[in-house]
Amino acid sequence: MTATQHDPHVAEYPARFEPPRGRAWRLVFGPGLVRGAWMAGLFFLLVTALVDALRWWWGWDPVWDTEIVLALAGMVGAPIGFLAGIGAFDYWLYYISGRPTRPEDHSGHGASSWRDYFRVNTDHKVIGIQYIVTTFVFFAVGGLMAMLFRAELAQPGLQFVDSQTFNGLVSAHATLMIFLFVIPAFAGIANFVVPLMLGAPDMAFPRLNALSFWLLPIAGIMFVASFVAPGGSFAAGWTGYAPLAEGQPLGQTFFNMGVQWAGASSVMTALNFLVTIITMRAPGMTFWRMPLLVWANFTTSLLVVVATPFIAGSQFFVMFDRIMHTSFFIPEGGGYVLGYQHIFWFYSHPAVYIMMLPGFGIVSEVISTMARKPIFGYRLMALSLVGILVLGFSVWAHHMFVAGMADWLRVPMMITTLLIAVPTGIKVFSWTATLWRGRIRLTTPMLFALGFVTMFVIGGLSGIYLGSVPIDIAASDTYFIVAHIHYVLFGGSVFTIFAGIYYWYPKMTGRMYDERLGKIHFWLTFVSFNVTFFPMHYVGLRGMPRRVFDYKEAFGDLNFVITIASFALGASFVVFLYNMVLSWKAGPAAEGNPWRAHTLEWQVTSPPPVFNFDEIPQVVGGPYEYGVAGARHAVMSPAREAQEVPA
Amino acid sequence: MRKGIVQLAAIAVVIGVAVTLVAVLFQWLPTSASEEFDRIQAVYWLATVISIGIFSLVTAVIVYSVWRWRVPADDDADGPPIHGHTGLEILWTAVPAVLVIIIGIVSAIVLARNREAGTRPLQVEAVGQQFAWRFVYPDEGGFSSGELVLPVRREAEFTMRSMDVIHSFWVPEFGQKMDAVPGIETTILVTPTRTGEFAVVCAELCGLGHATMRARARVVTEAEFTQWVEERQ
Repeated sequence: MTATQHDPHVAEYPARFEPPRGRAWRLVFGPGLVRGAWMAGLFFLLVTALVDALRWWWGWDPVWDTEIVLALAGMVGAPIGFLAGIGAFDYWLYYISGRPTRPEDHSGHGASSWRDYFRVNTDHKVIGIQYIVTTFVFFAVGGLMAMLFRAELAQPGLQFVDSQTFNGLVSAHATLMIFLFVIPAFAGIANFVVPLMLGAPDMAFPRLNALSFWLLPIAGIMFVASFVAPGGSFAAGWTGYAPLAEGQPLGQTFFNMGVQWAGASSVMTALNFLVTIITMRAPGMTFWRMPLLVWANFTTSLLVVVATPFIAGSQFFVMFDRIMHTSFFIPEGGGYVLGYQHIFWFYSHPAVYIMMLPGFGIVSEVISTMARKPIFGYRLMALSLVGILVLGFSVWAHHMFVAGMADWLRVPMMITTLLIAVPTGIKVFSWTATLWRGRIRLTTPMLFALGFVTMFVIGGLSGIYLGSVPIDIAASDTYFIVAHIHYVLFGGSVFTIFAGIYYWYPKMTGRMYDERLGKIHFWLTFVSFNVTFFPMHYVGLRGMPRRVFDYKEAFGDLNFVITIASFALGASFVVFLYNMVLSWKAGPAAEGNPWRAHTLEWQVTSPPPVFNFDEIPQVVGGPYEYGVAGARHAVMSPAREAQEVPA
Repeated sequence: MRKGIVQLAAIAVVIGVAVTLVAVLFQWLPTSASEEFDRIQAVYWLATVISIGIFSLVTAVIVYSVWRWRVPADDDADGPPIHGHTGLEILWTAVPAVLVIIIGIVSAIVLARNREAGTRPLQVEAVGQQFAWRFVYPDEGGFSSGELVLPVRREAEFTMRSMDVIHSFWVPEFGQKMDAVPGIETTILVTPTRTGEFAVVCAELCGLGHATMRARARVVTEAEFTQWVEERQ
C-alpha cells in the first residue's frame, strides 16, 4: 500500500536486476514462496538422510527415530530451507560466496501490489504490516482455541474434548497469544512507526528486519502443527514445567523448537530497534525529544536482548533431556527441577514487561494527542520505563512463591515486586493527569486507551495481591491468576494494540476506518471482556485451580456465564475484522495528519513515501507541545525558520 | 475549580461505595478453616482497602475528565500546556511506595508467623503421584492413608514429596499451598480451626488426570483422631 510514485530516489539507482531466464524458471528458482516450499522439502530430506546415515554408520538402533528426525530435519532443516528459498539469505550468500552481489536496486523495498507482502521485503512499513496481519491471524487462531476450551468448561465434567486435547488447547492458546500475538504485534506496530517517529528512512538493518519477520510464521506453524503430532499437541502449559514436559509426547518438541524461532525473531528485531534508535535519530532528535513510544521500544528491546536467551536455554535443556538423555531437570540423574523455573521465569517475567511497555508507549501517544495536552511529566514517564526495566529483572521468583524454592528469596522478591507498582503507578497517574483540563476527543483509539488504563489498574491491583507472599500462597495456580493475567495482557496489552491499530490505521493504509464500527467494537469488547474475566477472580479465590477441564459443581453457573461472555468477546473481533478489511478496501482517503499530532510520522503523507521523508526533518522541540503557541516538534525545511522550544 | 473538586470527590465516593459493596456483598474467600488462612485473610483485606482507594481515585479522574472536558471530534483547539507538576509527581511516587511497603511488611510478618512451627507439630507427609495423594503419618506408626485426617486445633507440619512430576498440595479452606517437587522436600504448616470435610486439590498441572487429582480432607476432634489412628496401627 505504500506509494511509490512520489519517490525521487528510485530513479537514481540502476533498473531492477532481472535474471536472464524465462518466467517459469524464475517462478521455480527465483526467490519466493514456491522456491521456499520446495527448498523446505529438500532440506528436510537432506537432513533426514544425514541423520539416518550417521545413525546407521555408528550402528545405532533404531536408525529411524521420529523425534530426532522431526527435531533436526523438520524444525531446523526445513525452516532454514524455507528461509533460503524465499530469499531471506540471498544477499548475504552472494556476498560471502564471493559472487557479485546484485546491485542494490531497492526492488525489495516498498509494495505496489498485495503480492509484495508475500515476499521478502526490506521496507520497514511493509514488514510492519506483514507482522500485524500475521499476528492477527494467530490471534484469531488462539482465540478460537480459547472458545473451544471455554465450551468444554461451560459445564463440569468432560464433554467435547479429551483431557490431552484440553491441556493442549490451553497450552497452545497461551503460547500463540504470547509468542505469536502480543510480542510480535507490538514489534509490528513499532516496525512501522518507530523509524518514522525518528525521522529515519528505514530501520538500521533492513535485511535483518525482513529475516526476523519471516522467522515468525515458522514458529506459529510449528505451534499449530503440533496438534497433528502423534500423541497430540504440547500439553504441559505454556510454562512447560519440567519434569512434566520431559515425559510428554512428541508435541512438546514442537514447543521447544517453536520458542527458539519466535525468540530468535524477537532478539533480531530488538537489536535492530536498539541500533536504529541509537544511531538513526534525525538531527535534533535528542533522547529527551523522543516520543514515549520510542522510549518504550528502546527499553523493551533492552529487555528482549538480555532476557530472551534464557527461555531459549530452558527449552533447549528440556529438549536435550528429552532426546539426548541429558538430565538437566531429572533429579535421578542429578538434575535440579526448580532450575527450570528459575531460568524460565528469568525470561518470562521480563516478558510480561516486553508485552506491556510498548503498550504504555502507544497509550502515551494516543492520550496526549486526543486530549490535546503535553504528556504530564514527560521525563518521569520515560524514566519510569527505565525503572520498570531495571526492577523487572529482580522479581522473577514471585512466580515461585509456592514452588519450594529457597525460603529467604521470598521476602526480597516480594518487596521488589511490590515496588514495581511505583513506576507503574507514576504512569497511570500521569495519564490521568494528562486528561485533566484537556480537550478530550473520544475517538476509537482514545476509547481503547482509556479502557486500557482502567482495566490495567484492576490488573495491577490484583498484581499487588499476588505480589504479597501470603495471599499468593492462597491464590497461586488458581483462576485468580487467570483473571489477573488476562486483565494485564488483554485489558492491558490487547487494548493498547487495538488503540495503536486504530490510531495508526490512517497512516498505514492511507484510509480512515469506520468510527461507528470502531466504537461498537470497543464497547462490545469492553463489556464482554469484563464479564468473561472478572468472575474468574471469584471462582479462583473460592477454590477453582487453573488448567482443569473438570471442577466443583458449585462453580458451574459462573463458568457458564464466563463461556457465553467469551463467545461474545470472540464475536466482537469479527466487528473489528470487518471494519479493518472493508475500510482498507473502500474507506475514505486519510489526510497526512488526521489527528493533528505533532510527532514525525504524521508530518508525511498517508501512507508515507517509500523512503519516508523527502526532506530530512530537523527536530526542534518536544513531541507533545500541544497548546504551546508556535511550538513545533520538527521542521521539514531549513531549521532557521523554526523557533527553539525548551523540551 | 472548587466546584469541580467537589464533583470529582462525589464521583470517587460513588465508585468507591459501589466497589466496596462488590467486595463485601459477595463472599470472595472461602470460610477459613485454619489459623494460617485467618492471618492471610487479614492481609487480603488490607490490600482490598488500598485497592478500592486507588481504583476509585483513578477511575473517578477519568470519568470526571471525560464528562467535563469532552469535545466533538472535529474540535481543533488545544488544551492548556501543562507539562507537569513536581510536587504532584513526588506525591504519587512516594504515597504508593509507602503503601506497598506497608503491604510488604505486613505480608512478611504474616509469612514469618505462618512458617513458625510450634512445639511438636503433627507430622504428615503428603506424597503426590499421578494422579493421587497419599498421606503418611510417621509419628503414628508410619501408616499411609488416601484420606487426610487432621485433629482440630493441633498444628500439622506437612512435608511434601513427589514420585514423578510437580504437584501442588492445596486445601482452599486452609489457604495454604505448596508444590510437591521431585528431588526435594518442601514443607508447610496448617492449624485447622474447625471440624468438617474439605477437598485436597492438586494445583499444579501434572498431566492428563490433573483435574481429577483430588483427595478428601477431614478435620476431626482430637478423640476422633486418636481413634482413627488406632484403627490403622
